Amino acid sequence: MRFNEKELVSLSRQPSERAAELGMRGPKKGDVVKKRLVKLIVNFLFYFRTDEEEPVGALLLEQCRVEREDDLAFSVAFLDEAERKYLFECDSQEQCLDWIDSIIKASYEFMRKNLIFYRTEIHRLTGKDPLEQYGISDETRFQVNSGLPPLPATST
Amino acid sequence: MKIHEKLLTHYLSCPSPVDKEGYLFKKRERNTSYQRRWFVLKGNLLFYQERPADRHLLGVIILEGCTVQPSLPESQHCFSLVFTGLGLRTYRLAAEDCLSQESWVHALHSASHTCLSLLVKELGRLYEEAKRASGESTQSPALTGKGLNQSMATYNPGSLYYLQGKGPAMRDAWAYARSQTLPAPQVTVKTTSKRSPKLWPKRNALVTPLNGPAPTYGEWPLVGSDTLEDFSKLHEHYGKEVRQLRADWLRKKREEAGHIEEDLIDLG
Repeated sequence: MRFNEKELVSLSRQPSERAAELGMRGPKKGDVVKKRLVKLIVNFLFYFRTDEEEPVGALLLEQCRVEREDDLAFSVAFLDEAERKYLFECDSQEQCLDWIDSIIKASYEFMRKNLIFYRTEIHRLTGKDPLEQYGISDETRFQVNSGLPPLPATST
Repeated sequence: MKIHEKLLTHYLSCPSPVDKEGYLFKKRERNTSYQRRWFVLKGNLLFYQERPADRHLLGVIILEGCTVQPSLPESQHCFSLVFTGLGLRTYRLAAEDCLSQESWVHALHSASHTCLSLLVKELGRLYEEAKRASGESTQSPALTGKGLNQSMATYNPGSLYYLQGKGPAMRDAWAYARSQTLPAPQVTVKTTSKRSPKLWPKRNALVTPLNGPAPTYGEWPLVGSDTLEDFSKLHEHYGKEVRQLRADWLRKKREEAGHIEEDLIDLG
């Protein structure tokens, strides 16, 4: 499958939500912990060999499960498969918790749920749909329940 | 760079709704011809394949760092995804008709994660304001890792996270994050202390909303008893503000034409 690699590499050089050198272990049996520069940008987790310009890889942080493994480590599992579980080792408990928090909140789907929540609540509290001023109130992807009709228009 | 393809295809096929799908023509990179492809937009990812029923995906375009722009009509209903940066690509696409073009442009220029993030921050801020105004408790339950994992699977109004936005700055940034094809953004929500008399929602400045409560008298500074005279006053008044906003927006866009390329974090 083709993808816009150049553009994604360019993205990996942008300011990140969170970046640090962590110990990273891949999902396969026999994989060992390696020192990687890990960068969280939008909903991607890029990982670089230290001092390299181009990332080794990019993990899409959607449909994944983030778990605390022990005091200093957390894991990210994909596709509900143990064989797709990546381990990350941090320098402190605080750093570990911060990473878990950031990764969970980075997911597009997570943000979408928040948006729908706020939209519903603001509408409930004020009688107005906050998305109307952005001209996106009718888009199906921001509806409260996909498949059901959108929030009633607050004006004609 | 390894992309972990399976994660992308899994995201596409998982139960969460697709944002938009349909046929578009895609111009080949080094060729003048367009090929008809079935596109599927989900989140900030634009997948394409030959036909809707195909299991094989031809490719994916990650929609970060690009703007959606109308193209010169080599053929009609064209638009481009322009990735800003040295040596980065422009994807030339064309819709089958005007309606489809509008609809795709609309969906694509607010599809990026960056855009959504700004929007969520802004709405979070409005939510807090609305709660304060209505006298409800301002305590939002903080999300912990475990709770989040569980609530991720289902929409749970009880668990909620928000980031403190910066008010008007966030709104301007949102307007910028969307493409240049947008008309001047509608008038923004100002912070409470600097509220203009014309309160949100501005979109109905010239019409009293029929379904909602009419704005209180103080919100309509020019409303009087003579409808015709007042309408032209209102029209002139709001027109001035829209012109000013547009001028500000254009100026800001010129100033912000640069794009941050280098890392702001020096990891040594």
